[in-house]
Amino acid sequence: MQVQRQYRDDLTNRVRVLTVLVAVGLVVVGGGFWYVQLVQGGHYRELAENNRLRRMAIRAPRGLIYDREGRLMVENAPSYDLLLDRSRTRDLEESLEYAAMVLGRPVEELRKALDAARGQPASHPVPIARSLTLPQVAKFSAVALERPEFEIDVRHLRLYRNGPQVAHLIGYLGEVSEADLERARAEAEAREDGDRRDGADGVEPRYRMGDLIGKKGIELTYDDMLRGVNGERAVVVDSRGNLIQEYGRVDSDAGDPLRLTLDLPLQQAAERVMRDKVGAVVALDPRDGAVRAMVSSPSYDPNLFARGIRAAEWKELLEHENDPLQNRAIQNQHSPGSVLKIVMAAAGLSEGVITPSTSVHCSGGTVIYGRHFKCWKAGGHGTVSLNRAIAQSCNVYFYHLGRELGIERIAKWARAFGLGERSGIELDGEIPGLVPDPEWSLRTRKHQWFPGETISVSIGQGAISVTPIQIARAVAAIANGGTLVTPHLVEGAPAPTDRVPVDPRVLELVRQGMASVMQPGGTAYWRSHIPGFDYAGKTGTVQVVGGRTGDSDDLPWKLRNHAWFASFGPVEEPRLVVVVLNEHGGSGSSGAAPIAKVLYEEYFEVGDRAPGAARPGRPAGQVASSPGPAAPQPSAAQAPPAGTE
Amino acid sequence: MTTGIPISEERPAFRNLSGMDWALVLSALVLAAIGVATVHSASAEMPIDYLPRQALWVGLGVLFMAVAGAINYRTLVDLALPIYLMGLGLLVLVLVAGEVGGGARSWLEFGGVGAQPGELAKLTTALFLARYLAGVNKRYLGVKELAVAGLIVAAPMVLLALQPDLGSAVMFLPMLAGMVVVAGLKWRFLAIAALVVVAAGAGVWFFGMQDYQRQRVFTFLNPESDPLGAGYQVQQSKIAVGSGELAGKGYMQGTQSQLRFLPARHTDFIFAVLAEEWGFVGSVAVLGLYAIFLINALRIGMRARERVAVLLVVGLVSLVAFHVLYNTAMVVGLVPITGIPLPFLSYGGSFTLLNFAIVGILVGVDVRRYVNA
Repeated sequence: MQVQRQYRDDLTNRVRVLTVLVAVGLVVVGGGFWYVQLVQGGHYRELAENNRLRRMAIRAPRGLIYDREGRLMVENAPSYDLLLDRSRTRDLEESLEYAAMVLGRPVEELRKALDAARGQPASHPVPIARSLTLPQVAKFSAVALERPEFEIDVRHLRLYRNGPQVAHLIGYLGEVSEADLERARAEAEAREDGDRRDGADGVEPRYRMGDLIGKKGIELTYDDMLRGVNGERAVVVDSRGNLIQEYGRVDSDAGDPLRLTLDLPLQQAAERVMRDKVGAVVALDPRDGAVRAMVSSPSYDPNLFARGIRAAEWKELLEHENDPLQNRAIQNQHSPGSVLKIVMAAAGLSEGVITPSTSVHCSGGTVIYGRHFKCWKAGGHGTVSLNRAIAQSCNVYFYHLGRELGIERIAKWARAFGLGERSGIELDGEIPGLVPDPEWSLRTRKHQWFPGETISVSIGQGAISVTPIQIARAVAAIANGGTLVTPHLVEGAPAPTDRVPVDPRVLELVRQGMASVMQPGGTAYWRSHIPGFDYAGKTGTVQVVGGRTGDSDDLPWKLRNHAWFASFGPVEEPRLVVVVLNEHGGSGSSGAAPIAKVLYEEYFEVGDRAPGAARPGRPAGQVASSPGPAAPQPSAAQAPPAGTE
Repeated sequence: MTTGIPISEERPAFRNLSGMDWALVLSALVLAAIGVATVHSASAEMPIDYLPRQALWVGLGVLFMAVAGAINYRTLVDLALPIYLMGLGLLVLVLVAGEVGGGARSWLEFGGVGAQPGELAKLTTALFLARYLAGVNKRYLGVKELAVAGLIVAAPMVLLALQPDLGSAVMFLPMLAGMVVVAGLKWRFLAIAALVVVAAGAGVWFFGMQDYQRQRVFTFLNPESDPLGAGYQVQQSKIAVGSGELAGKGYMQGTQSQLRFLPARHTDFIFAVLAEEWGFVGSVAVLGLYAIFLINALRIGMRARERVAVLLVVGLVSLVAFHVLYNTAMVVGLVPITGIPLPFLSYGGSFTLLNFAIVGILVGVDVRRYVNA
C-alpha cells in the first residue's frame, strides 16, 4: 500500500499527459474537418453535384444450356436499350419526341417508361426503349455530341433456340418481382443476425431491382447457378457522360453452363408428333432416370418472355382453352387406365394372389359385389392367364385380381412404384396425383370406400390419378429390375434412387407381358411394332367422365377417350422408357402407341429412321404420321370399342 | 488494510448516485441518440432500416452499463484470470464453430443472435492486464514485465488475426500502449520517437505526395479492402464530408449518403453521413461530445486511488479513444481506411454493448473510489 501510494502521483501525471494527447488528437481531427468542410467545401460540393463518380453494374452473362451431346439450346443475344439521362437534357419533351421519331414508336410509350422511373434521381439514366435495331443504335451514336442525354446500353437477352419445343423444360426469365425482392431482402436480413458489420451496405440481397431471374423450369430451378454474379465498376465521367477514367472494377462472374440429359433430336421428334395434339410425352433412361425428352402440348414460345411479353400475348396464353403454360407431363393428372395393370400384375404376383399360370375365364364381363363389370371386348377373351391378360388387356382378369388384393394392397403397391407422389424431377409445380384408399375416402370425401370402387381402380379407373412422369418412373422400375429412379434433367445432378421391394422374377414376368403387347395378338402390335426392334409396352384408354364417350370419330373431340401408352425398349437391356398421354386421343393402341413408335425409331435409328431406310422428304411438321384427331381413323374392327382396352 | 476513512465495506456503492460522473454518462447517451438518428438516415436507401435494431442495441447497452456499474470492479479484478481465459476460450470457439461474416470467421450464434467474442476479449484482456501491471511494484516496468504484458495481449491478438480480423487485433495495441506507459514506461523516449515519426509522416503526407500517390498508399495498406479500391471510399467519404460545408445539407438530405455513393455508411462511415448532413457545426459538436466523454473518463483515472483502478480506466479509455480518433480521421481522409467503427455512433450490436459496458465499469470504478478494498 505504501509503495502504491508513493507511485500514485506518477500515475496521475501520466494519465494527465494521456488526456492532453487525446485532446490534441481531437483538435487535429477537428482541423481535418475544418480543412475538408470549410476550406475545400466548395470543391467537394461541386464534386457532389457533378456526381462524377459512377458505379455501374457489369452484368454477368447467364450460363448457356446444352443438351446431352453439347448441342446449344439456350444462348444469350445482345439487345440494345436506349437510356435517357434527364439531368442532361435541355427540353425533356423535345428529347422524347426526337427519340420517338428515330425509333418510329409512339411518344406515349416512351413517356410511360420514363414515368416508371419518376422516383429516381435525375442523374440516373432511365431505359425508355428496348430492343433497338442496329441502324437505330447507329443513329443515336451519330448524334451523341448534340444529344448527350441519350445513352445506349447493351443487355444480353435469352435466346431460346428451340423455342416452343422445349418451353416447359427450360422455362423462362422475368424481371425480378416485388415479392422476389422482398424474399431476398428477408434472406439477407436473416443472414445479418441482427448485428453484422459487413463493410458494405449491410448484407447484399441476392437480387437487385431490374435483375432478370428464372421464373419457371430449369431457368428457375438452377437460377443460382445460371445467373452468375454481377460485377461492378466505378468510373469517372465528364459532364457529357464520357468515360474518362476507370477507378476500379470487380469483374462479373459468368453463370455456369448447364448440360441437360435431354436428347434434342428425340425431343424435337416428340414435339413434332405432338404438335397438333393435346397431351404429354416423357422419355427417360430407365437406368438412371435421365430425361431424354419431355414434351407438353400445346406449347408456347419462351422467347416472348425473353424480350418482355406484351399484355395481349399474355392474355392469349392464359385464356387458351388447352392451357399452353401447363406442363402436362408433371402438372396434369388422369386415371392411368389399363396402364395400371402392369403394377397390378406385379402386386398380385408379389402378394402370392396369382401365379403366372393362374387363369380366369372372360366372357365379356363379370359380376362382382352384385354389380356387372364389363370387359372392353364384348365377346370376351375366353380363358386367359397373366401373360395374355396383359397382352390383350383383359379387364375381367384384373377385376378378379383386384378383388383378391383389396384396395389397401393395391394402394401399397401403386405407391411402391411411385404413383400418387411427386417424382422429384427438378421442375417447379409438379403435382402428386392420387392413390386412393379407404382412409383417404373418409378423410376427404367423408364417406366409406365402396368395394365396387376397388374393382374400378383395378383397371385404372375411378379415383386414382397419376401424371405421365409418374408412369414413366414406374415403368423404369419395371424395366431396370426394381430401382425407383428420380427423373432428372441436368447431367450430374444428384438423383436419389429407391428400391421397389419386389422380386426380380416378378418384374421379369411383367416385362414378358408387356413384350407380348407388342407381339401378334397384343393390343399395340398391329399399329406400332417396329420390324427388327423389340420393345414392350402397355396401352391404356381412359373414359372421359360423363355422357356418351368413346374413341369414335363421330364424337366431339372433347368427349373422346384419353389414350395412354407406357413402354420401354429394347426388351433385352432397356435403355429408353417412353410414356405417351394423348388427351382425347382415342384408344391407347391407336392414339398413343404410334407416337411412342416414332420416338423409338428416332432414338435407336430403327424402322423408318433406320440407316438406309427410305426416308421420304417430308417437311418437318409431318414427319410423324401417327393418327391424331385430324388423321383418318382405321376401321372400327381394329379400334376397340368403348371401355378400357 | 483499513485506514482511517470511516466507511464500512457494507456501504452500498450506489447509495449516493450524485457521486457518479453524470457528464460521462450523459455524453455517452447523447452520442448514442445521435447515432440512432444517423443510422436511420444512413440506411434510408438500404433494404433494411437499421434504426429499430440500433435503438434496441442502445437500450440493451444501457442495461449492460447498469449491470457493469453494479458489479464491484474489485470482484472482477479478483476473477481477472478466469475471465481472461474465458475470453480466450470464446475466441478459440469462434475459430472452430464460428460463422463467417464480412470475410472473417468472427461470429458466434446464440439462438439466432450473433455476437462477436472479439469485442468481449477487449474487456477481459484489459481487466487481466490491469491486474498484472498493478501487481508490479516498480517505478518503471522492466523487460520481463513488458514481455509478460505483451504476451497477455498477444494471445487474443493472434486468435483474432487467425479469423482473420486484423483490424480488431490491432485495436489491442493502443490499449497496451496506454496501460504500459501509465504503469511506468520511460514514456518520454517513446513520446519523442512517436512525435518524430508522426511529424515526418505527416510532412511527407501533406507536402511530399500527390493525391494519386496517397491513393496508392491507401491501396497498399489495404489490399483486401473494398475491391472497388480504397481510393473510391476515401474519395466518396471526403465528397460527403466536404460537401456538408459549414451548416450541412440537413437531416436525411445528404445526397452522397442517400444516393448510395458512400459505402458502409451505417457502420464505419457513419460520421461522414453526419458531417454531410450537419456540416462543420455538427462535426465539431460531436467531436466536442467525444472530448467531454474521453476527458471525463480519464479524470476518473486521475481520481482513482488504486493502481489497478487507474490502469483499468486507462486501458478501457485508450481503447475507446483510439476508435474515436482513428475513425474520425479516416472519414476525413487523414489516415488509411480500415474497418474501425465509431463508438456509440456506428451500427453494431456487440460493439455498442462493449462501449456501454465500458462506461458502466468506469462509473463503477468512480463511485467506489472511497470504498476500501
